[in-house]
Amino acid sequence: MMRRADYGVVLLAIGVLIAVYGTYWRPQQAGTTARISVGRNDVLDVSLKRDQRLPIHGPLGTSVIEVHDGKVRFIDSPCRGKQCIHAGWLQHDGDFAACLPNGISITVGGSRRSYDSINF
Amino acid sequence: MAKREIAANAPGQLTSTIHDHRVAWLTALAIAIHVAESALPSPLPGLKPGLANIVTIAVLMVYGWQTAAWVSLLRVIVGSILIGTFLTPTFALSLCGAIASIFVLGLLSRLPGAGCGPIGYSLAAALAHMAGQFYSAYILFIPHEALFGLLPPLMTLAAAFGVLNGLLVHTMLTHLSKTTHDGQH
Repeated sequence: MMRRADYGVVLLAIGVLIAVYGTYWRPQQAGTTARISVGRNDVLDVSLKRDQRLPIHGPLGTSVIEVHDGKVRFIDSPCRGKQCIHAGWLQHDGDFAACLPNGISITVGGSRRSYDSINF
Repeated sequence: MAKREIAANAPGQLTSTIHDHRVAWLTALAIAIHVAESALPSPLPGLKPGLANIVTIAVLMVYGWQTAAWVSLLRVIVGSILIGTFLTPTFALSLCGAIASIFVLGLLSRLPGAGCGPIGYSLAAALAHMAGQFYSAYILFIPHEALFGLLPPLMTLAAAFGVLNGLLVHTMLTHLSKTTHDGQH
């Protein structure tokens, strides 16, 4: 039922599947840096290796961003909805959170964009 | 009278050969399966068992690559006319998939040695079909990187259906060789 060429095709197919999974379903990479943007122009790159709390000044007031254990999050912001705080910890390459009222956003990594657009 | 004789022997006269009739019958069989299968619901766009390819593989094994290529391409065109997808995006993807799988089957059937059995042909054709369809969808309709996230599961399912169809072809050809005595296979 199976000829020699069949086994070749089966091996090739397994190789193709492994390659496809390896290429397109890679596990998410932990990010090492975060880019904090204020408005359109002010950009601050921070390492996720050093734990710290950063007060960032936006148009509404001061948002506080915490870096801890390779992760980053908003812990306070003078906005109403607090969507940025509810976004929680960001740690993978491409993770993103923003406080739109205060014009502040955090992107982890930055080499890879995971999103085209985000709805709140 | 003289005029009619000339007309009958004109070089442009269409004559059908046994080969043409064979292609037509086998294509009709493939179209019937294609249309029946289009009624099946599908959980993912672009995902079908591809049962009509059973005919393509069986034809490849029995009559050779050229007949299989005819049957496959005619099936895609006529099948799409019957379903009502002719010249729609669905048709474009289907055609690209069919061309890719026919191309791969052509390469495999020209391998030195005895060639593949039904499972090898069917598996290779299914993967080529899915890949051809997927890349043409990416190039023609959805040029977005995120589409590739769908490729691993689609290829996995294509491989599974390919092996399954190959087994069906094997069973079918075994039964056929038992019931026919023409020794063609």
